[in-house]
Amino acid sequence: MSVPEIVIALVLGIGFGFALNKAGLTQYHKIVNVFRFTDLAVLKFMMTALIVAMAGLFGLDALGLLALPVPPQTYIVGNLLGGMIFGIGMSGVGI
Amino acid sequence: MKKIIAYIQKDEWSPYSAGVLLGLIGIWVATAATAFRDPAIALGASGAFESIFGGLTQLVASDWVAKNVYFRAVRLPGVTWEVVMLLGVFIGGALGAISSGTWKLRWMPEKQWAEAFGKSRVTRWVLVFIGAILLEYGAGVAGGCTSGLAIWGGLQLAPAAFVFMGGMFATGILTALVVYRRRY
Repeated sequence: MSVPEIVIALVLGIGFGFALNKAGLTQYHKIVNVFRFTDLAVLKFMMTALIVAMAGLFGLDALGLLALPVPPQTYIVGNLLGGMIFGIGMSGVGI
Repeated sequence: MKKIIAYIQKDEWSPYSAGVLLGLIGIWVATAATAFRDPAIALGASGAFESIFGGLTQLVASDWVAKNVYFRAVRLPGVTWEVVMLLGVFIGGALGAISSGTWKLRWMPEKQWAEAFGKSRVTRWVLVFIGAILLEYGAGVAGGCTSGLAIWGGLQLAPAAFVFMGGMFATGILTALVVYRRRY
């Protein structure tokens, strides 16, 4: 990794952590309550981020300013099983 | 301007404004991936722990890491983009708490946790440790966590992201039902 790449990774990480903290997702009850349907902040946060990023990403790609990155691989059984194991941990302890 | 500063200092933003911030960061990450031509660039977190483990293991058993299919093909060991970003996430989270004046060190974080599991710190540490193992193992199997797969994959419309979210909510809801039973 070059120095500019490290600096940008650090800055974007700081922004990511800041956004998570301000959305309240660093707290146990915010994470767990989305699975109890009493506080949907996690979903609101994630879906807003998805919409904004999708619009920007595919817009910039259409203008030829950006090459779309390689998306994560799909292997349905693994993705699903992994998600199910992940869900137990996430909902159980709220991290 | 004063209003903007006051909003930044608020303890909790609307999840929509925080989501917009994350969305913009997602676009920036994609731009960085184009600019640096580094295939390891992604908006992920869980992969960083695996890279850190691989990097540390390299120090004592470099042969094993070099032969390991996972570290050769899936996650590169050592200091990758995600490792640096994870460090930033810690700093950013702390800055967020400092900016709203809620920064403090706590052993027993949550009122709701105490209601669900009791006030024991030992219980909390043990459960969180087990939960974290499940999280990281699940993320390893699925190919990413909520950020690296659900958000980063989702914004590229990768089917994997939505399959993962389905699985996550299926067991997540069941787990919450077990933990909260009648108080659900």
